[in-house]
Amino acid sequence: MSETILRADDVVKQFALRGRHRGTIKAVDGVSLEVKAGETLGIVGESGCGKSTFGQCLTRLVDVTSGTIQFEGTDISKLSRRQLRPVRSRLQMVFQDPYSSLNPRMRVGDIVAEPMRIHKTGDRRAIQARVADLLERVGFDASMAGRFPHEFSGGQRQRIGIARALALNPSVLVADEPVSALDVSVQAQVLNLLADLQDEFGLTYVFIAHDLGVVEHVSDRVAVMYLGEIVELADAEELYASPAHHYTAALLSAIPQLDGEAEPERERIVLTGDVPSPANKPSGCPFHPRCPAATEICRTEHPVLHEEGGRAVACHHPLPLRVLSSAERGA
Amino acid sequence: MPAAPLLEVDDLRVAFRTRDGVVNAVNGLSFTVGRGEVLGIVGESGSGKSMAMYSMMGLLDNPNATVTGSARFEGTELIGMPLPKLNRLRGSSIAMIFQDPMTALTPVYTVGWQIVEQIRTHEKVSSQAAWKRAIALLDEVGIPDAARRAKSYPHEFSGGMRQRVMIAMSLACHPSLLIADEPTTALDVTTQRQILELIRDLQAKYGSSVIMITHDMGVISEIADRVIVMYAGRAVELGGKSQVVRSPRHPYTWGLLGAIPRPGQRGQRLATIPGLPPGPHDDQIGCPFRSRCRFAMDECSEMPQLRATGEAADHLDACWLSGDARKSLRGEIA
Repeated sequence: MSETILRADDVVKQFALRGRHRGTIKAVDGVSLEVKAGETLGIVGESGCGKSTFGQCLTRLVDVTSGTIQFEGTDISKLSRRQLRPVRSRLQMVFQDPYSSLNPRMRVGDIVAEPMRIHKTGDRRAIQARVADLLERVGFDASMAGRFPHEFSGGQRQRIGIARALALNPSVLVADEPVSALDVSVQAQVLNLLADLQDEFGLTYVFIAHDLGVVEHVSDRVAVMYLGEIVELADAEELYASPAHHYTAALLSAIPQLDGEAEPERERIVLTGDVPSPANKPSGCPFHPRCPAATEICRTEHPVLHEEGGRAVACHHPLPLRVLSSAERGA
Repeated sequence: MPAAPLLEVDDLRVAFRTRDGVVNAVNGLSFTVGRGEVLGIVGESGSGKSMAMYSMMGLLDNPNATVTGSARFEGTELIGMPLPKLNRLRGSSIAMIFQDPMTALTPVYTVGWQIVEQIRTHEKVSSQAAWKRAIALLDEVGIPDAARRAKSYPHEFSGGMRQRVMIAMSLACHPSLLIADEPTTALDVTTQRQILELIRDLQAKYGSSVIMITHDMGVISEIADRVIVMYAGRAVELGGKSQVVRSPRHPYTWGLLGAIPRPGQRGQRLATIPGLPPGPHDDQIGCPFRSRCRFAMDECSEMPQLRATGEAADHLDACWLSGDARKSLRGEIA
């Protein structure tokens, strides 16, 4: 087993609410997980489950309320902005919206060069050469450096964002919904590029997305979040083939299947109602009001994330696990 | 000869006059929708799928847009129909659901008021009776405590609930055709499932026809009877759902299906379509897909007609490739 490169311990991110609904919201409520060097950890969940906030906590784009984040052995959760600088070069982020995450008034070459200028990685000529190199790596001609973002399509912009994230040779890339704004055919190009870059540079990915199909495709392990908590974490194959948490099972059964490709045949579980607001989180298990298997204990007692044989699930009544055949494992 | 189709679209074209010349957003689209049928229209952004619907419904008020061709609904021509007549049709016989329910509902009135307004625009009923019907509709689309919720404003509903309100409103006058433009794209997957089931249940109950516009092949698979695949303003493939999804015939459809991550293919490379969809100002002679198609030949400089190239007479595609060679060629992509 490879070493842990990024580790979150009991991370909480709280936001204050003002005005009529004064109080606090726990967007991330005690999340602990480890990311191993070279793997892709997927984080899935519906909107409002705290997955993006957690991603921003991991990269310290927001301050964490409590808990620690260890990156390459050091706790970065309480570092000042200045102290964070060397960390930032190793821990980069790719954003969802390729339109708002690139400065429209900067040329593409400058966008990609900016991190290197801030970190003073070399003289002008060295940076220029590196920019050309990076642009070619993500599939552009080096001559594109003089153009502006508006001259590019969404998928091309996302590749520029990836080139920028790679500029400082990071070891970990946190990608927050990197393909959800893209059309399917373009999405596939970006996913293939991310896979190539991972092979080439030995990158570690934290891949945050709501699209379960995409997450299954790219991830080695997958964490499922609901109302700020991880409810299940397991190897991607095992999680998709045999979910232990009722919420995971419901999510998987909700994926629209292509005609004639419903394998494994999943029982259709239609959840009723909406995700409750994190401002008034249900007592006990956060999922109990929508859970088909909820009992008295679920209403009163909060289940802890219980790990067993590499699988972790936070449920009082987990679904029975199906042992995978070797053929399924090989997939 | 089966009964006449509910909607018959023939050679529909939408052209925009721009500073850089004329742009054809929809380029000769022809299709029919039968009674009680669910037709899926799938395509990527900019393929003209929404534009085609807007032009039929008279929702294009851009003075630079020219709509030509014909769209006959129950035998009546929609294109060029005078506005008062169109207004009688819209919302009663033909209803539309939009992608973003927040912008489709007005924020300053209660949802009940908005449904009542629509009912009373089309039918002579008292406001009490209309209000009762609004509550019944909200109840039918699965809004709990409908009588109280009818007095709520759109912002007090979640995204999925707002889409239910939109569906309730669209059904208010029992339309024979429901046009749903990406109704689940803004929703989470569990909510999307609820809305798809709701549309399917109501469709079965009232026997309305549905045109479902989406970019998601999975959604199409769940709900459509027949499918049109659109690319650059044109229909490139048309057939039954299983025909198109299981044995697609056009290279673009091959690419589109190959690009979707499938279960059990974790970590494998996805088939991609090289390049980008043509921009609005790219030349529009010949097959629009040929610059991205790895099987492009000399013939492709001329636009192929939509026609049956395989055994099934109702499975059409617009491609010059010989019908027999398709299977082995598709294997090359996968």
